[in-house]
Parts: sequence; C-alpha cells; structure tokens
Amino acid sequence: MTAETSAVSLHGVTKRFGKDVVAVDDVDLQIQDGEFFSLLGPSGCGKTTTLRMIGGLEFPTEGSIRIFDEEMGLRPPNKRPINTVFQSYALFPHMNVSENVGFGLKMQKVDDSEARRRVGEAIDLVRLTGMEMRSPKELSGGEQQRVALARALVNRPKVLLLDEPLGALDLKLRQTMQLELKDIQHEVGITFVYVTHDQGEALTMSDRVGVMNEGQLAQVGPPEEVYESPQSLFVAGFVGEMCLIPAVVTESGSVRLNGGEVIRARTLSPKGAEVTLTIRPEKLHIYTAATDAPPDRNALKGSIGRRTFYGEAMVYEVQLGASGSIEVRVENIPSIRRWSVGDQVIIDFHPEAAMALSE
Amino acid sequence: MTLVDERETVEKEEVNPRLERRARRQESWRGFFHAAPAYVYLTLFFVLPLLIIFVFSFASRSNTGKPLLENWNLDSWARLADPLVRTIAVRSLTMAIANTVLCLLIAYPFAYWIATRARQRTRTLLLIAVLIPFWSNFLVRTYAWRMLLDSDGYITQLGQLTGLWERMLFTQPAVFIGLVYGYLPFMVLPLYAALERMDWSLVEAGRDLYASGSKAFRRITLPLSKPGIIAGSILVFIPSLGAYVTPDILGGAKTNLLGNLIVTQFQAARNWPFGSAISGAILIVMLVATMIYFRTGGRTI
Repeated sequence: MTAETSAVSLHGVTKRFGKDVVAVDDVDLQIQDGEFFSLLGPSGCGKTTTLRMIGGLEFPTEGSIRIFDEEMGLRPPNKRPINTVFQSYALFPHMNVSENVGFGLKMQKVDDSEARRRVGEAIDLVRLTGMEMRSPKELSGGEQQRVALARALVNRPKVLLLDEPLGALDLKLRQTMQLELKDIQHEVGITFVYVTHDQGEALTMSDRVGVMNEGQLAQVGPPEEVYESPQSLFVAGFVGEMCLIPAVVTESGSVRLNGGEVIRARTLSPKGAEVTLTIRPEKLHIYTAATDAPPDRNALKGSIGRRTFYGEAMVYEVQLGASGSIEVRVENIPSIRRWSVGDQVIIDFHPEAAMALSE
Repeated sequence: MTLVDERETVEKEEVNPRLERRARRQESWRGFFHAAPAYVYLTLFFVLPLLIIFVFSFASRSNTGKPLLENWNLDSWARLADPLVRTIAVRSLTMAIANTVLCLLIAYPFAYWIATRARQRTRTLLLIAVLIPFWSNFLVRTYAWRMLLDSDGYITQLGQLTGLWERMLFTQPAVFIGLVYGYLPFMVLPLYAALERMDWSLVEAGRDLYASGSKAFRRITLPLSKPGIIAGSILVFIPSLGAYVTPDILGGAKTNLLGNLIVTQFQAARNWPFGSAISGAILIVMLVATMIYFRTGGRTI
C-alpha cells in the first residue's frame, strides 16, 4: 500500500473543539482507490468528524489529509474532488428532484445539454425516473435518500462520503438499500467512505472496516478479520455479539477461569495477566451433561439459566457457577433439541473460537 | 405484514366516523371560545372604526366643515385623482420603499449574525437588545433623536467637522434615520426567525456541491429566508407608508406625506370625508397588494 494508490490518506489527523474536547485523536489511515471503506463506531467516537474533515466541512487541528496524493490543507469543500451524502439528506427544499441533482453541475458551469444528460443518467441509476419534477417533500425517505445519492454521484467525484445515509430508514428498506448501494458502488467504481454506527451494515457492505473509539482508530481490516480477530476488548464488544468472561493466563494458549476451569484459548498477554475471554455465542455448542464433548475442544459444565427466543435462533444463558455465565446461540433448525431452564449441560467450543484480550 | 401495517389497521378499526366528526366539531367550538375575546376586541375597536371611516368617505360637509351623514356622494373619492394627491402618494411610496430596502440591508446581516451564534444565551441577549427600545414610548424616542440631530448635537458637529453636512435636523436624511431606527426591529425579528429555523446542513451540502461561499448564500440561504424577508418587508413597508410622527418631528413637517395629508384633512382642513377617502384608498391598495402576494408564491409566514 503506497501513498500513490491511496484515494484518501490521513496522517496524524487530530481535531480539537475548544481546549478540552478531542474529537479525533492522531488518526492514520489509508483508503485505497475503488474501496468501500466503513468507519464504524458508537456515537461521539469521532467518525463523523473524520468524514467532515475529509470533505472539508471541518479542518484538522493537526495532521494532513491527502486525496489522491494532493494535500487538502484548508481547501474549502467546493474545491475538493469529493461529494457527500448527508445524514439527513440535506435536499434543497426549494428545488425539485432534477434541480437538486443538477445543482453541483450548475455550480461547476457544466454546459446545459451535457448537464441535462448526466442528471438523467444519475436519476436512472438510482431508479427515480419519472420523479424529476417532484419536490423533496413529496418523496418517501427511501426516495429522498436516492436523490441525495444521485446528487452526489452525478458530479463523478473521486471519493464519495456517506454519513449514516440509511439511518433514517426502516429496517426492511435499509437492507434493500445496503445491497443497492453496494451494487451502485461496483457500477461506478468510486471510492466510498461510509460512516455508520451499525456494525451489521459495516460488515455486510465494506471491503474494509475501521472501528473507531474515543477519537482513535481501534482496528482496521476486512470485515471477517475485524469480526474473527478483534484486537481489543472494545472491538470485540462493539462488533457483533460477544460473551465476556474474566480469566487469568496460565501459560501461552491457556487460561484459567474464576471457577478454576483451565481452557485453551488464543492468548496475546504474558503468563499471569488478567484477561477477558471472548467467545461468539454462535460458536458454542450445548450437549447433555452425560455426553462427552469431543476431546480436541474446550468443555465447560453449567446449567441453563434463561432462554430467549429470536425466531431464527434461541439464545440460552448458561450459568457457569463461579466463572460467571455465557450466552449460547442455537440456530433454529429442524429437530434441534430445546433446553429448559435448569437443565444440566456441557457447552463446548474450539480453542480458536476463544480469544483472551486485555484492556 | 410489517409492524407499521398492523398499527394502521388497528387505528382504522377503532375510528368511528360519526364519533370523530363530533369530536372535530367540538374541537372547533372550543377553538372559537378561546379566540372569542380577540374577535370581540378586534371587531369593536378595529373593524368598526374602519367601517365608520369608510362610511364617512361618502358623506358631505356643512359650510363650517361639519361632516353630514346625508347627500351621499363620490366627490371625496374623485378628488383622489388630484395631481397634488398623486405627487404626495408617489413621494410617500418612494420613501416607504426606500425605508424598507434600507431596513432590509441593515437588518439582514445583523439577523444572520445573531442566528449563527452558537450559544442560545448569546442569541437571546442579542434579541433582547433589539427589543429594548420598545420599553419606552415611540414619541419620546423620536424627540430624543431630535436632540441628537440638533445643531449643537454630536452628529451635526461631526458633519460640520468633516464638511459632509452642514445641518441634520429637519432634512430628508434625518427622516430616514428616524424611520430606519423606528422600524428596524420589525425587520430583524422575522428575518431572525427565518434564519434561525434554517437547516445549515443545506448550506454545507451546497458548499460540498461546488458552490462558493457567496454562491451558496445566493442560491440557498437567501431563497430559504424569503418568508422572513417578505414578512419583515410588509411589517416595515405598511407603517412607513403612513408614517406621520417621524417626518413631522425630524423632518419639520416640510415634506408633505400621506400621513400628514390625512391628519391635515381631519384637523386643519376639517374635511373628514376626504381624509376618510384617502385612508380607505391606502387600505384597499394594501389589501390588494398583500392578497396578490399570498396568491403568488407567498406561502405561510
């Protein structure tokens, strides 16, 4: 990954508001050309501020932002080869759909016939043909979202920034739009930088995900890597469901739980370190107490404490005595055994599925 | 069936059309009772006097100038075509327009500045500052300006020092100073209301879409604050068309304006019918103009 191929590159970017508030803290990041990159994090983690700095709506207090190897410095947004899809869409209420979409071209003084053709193409791309004369007020949330997308894409930016663009839509529509956005990105081949607090969205859509916390990038990598090998407790807890159990490292590759059970797990910390064992609920299996678990796997004894039905799966909370409790997710497949509260069970999991992380 | 659909069907089942209609009728009666005192007050002290004026405009006069409610005629209305009346009307109109434009030019940047202050407290304080002049009487404030503009006042001395003006009081600029001073708050407040409601992310979107700062202002901020501009302009234009106190006190009553003309007819000239006709004509012109505005493009303010 060299600087030449980066669509967006951030070096030591810091943003302070006033004296005390550090919104973004020394972020280094390279986003490649044509990549679908997501910035994921809880609200207030600095992801939107980072996006706004790339777009030129805020300027970094320290550090440099380069777009295709060009230093942006204090360049205003209208002089950057970037467009943004805003969180609330920010459609101009005093203009109709095609005026909204054509605004950027008009400002760039693209000649009329060329502009008209490109506006038509963009409206077709987001499947809003026939709605050109409507006012934004007359559109549904999903349609407004498409107008915002067309309005940005029509300018053929080198990088498209999207600030939680699906946040205001209901679940079903959000899922449809996720797929559609991904398709559109393939079609136009533009680098997408996507800000979201929804980990599902980030995992399904992105080529790479950057998880942010308290102004810093906690981890950057492809979705599978971030999900399977979180490098910190924060990432482990924020991305997907995770069971957390306190433990102590006894030797490399082995930890002891508070109840005394010694199990094999991936460890990074030295012997004697206090760690948190992290396991995904879907990577656990439940057996009856009588059945022996396969020998190459970890086994823990417990009893069913609570069960929650989710439709596609059942989640059992298994009490492990002094070691705490653990959640097990069992897919709702035909003839699967249902456990009742109080049943004595053995849960087992592969040592690879358990990862010991320290703060 | 999604969750939303379910909720909608439930609502539809519960609603009994007859019950709903009755509830709505009760609601509208309750609204009427709430508004009744205002209706009564406005009818007694606003509509009725206006009607009296209107009736008087068709009345005749005795030899001594006493209005007589007999021999109804259109003479007073015919007199409106008099070139003298036309000259005065044009002069008043020009002054009202000039005053409105001046107020707009001064108030817009100020309202914009208040509306873009980050802290609510700062905005409130600045707005209170705009309203402070209303704590004292308009006449008193206009006389205060007379002192400020008088020949031994600082403003006149400043003019004499720089050689820009010899005297200030009883001049056209003095009248404008007074008018702008008097009506500026009526322009600032609606402009502030419009700008304060602005969704500034629209301006950011404009900047993001290659509009320079000034273009974003012209294409986005300005059109979206139009309701405020129009409301403010109406609030300033209408009273300044009939302005009487300010031109009288600060202009020395030298220039004849519609306001003075009407007062003269009711007092010195003892011609109530003609004074009524002028008042009625201004009212009709204003009503028609406002109605045209609301019909064309002017939405709710």
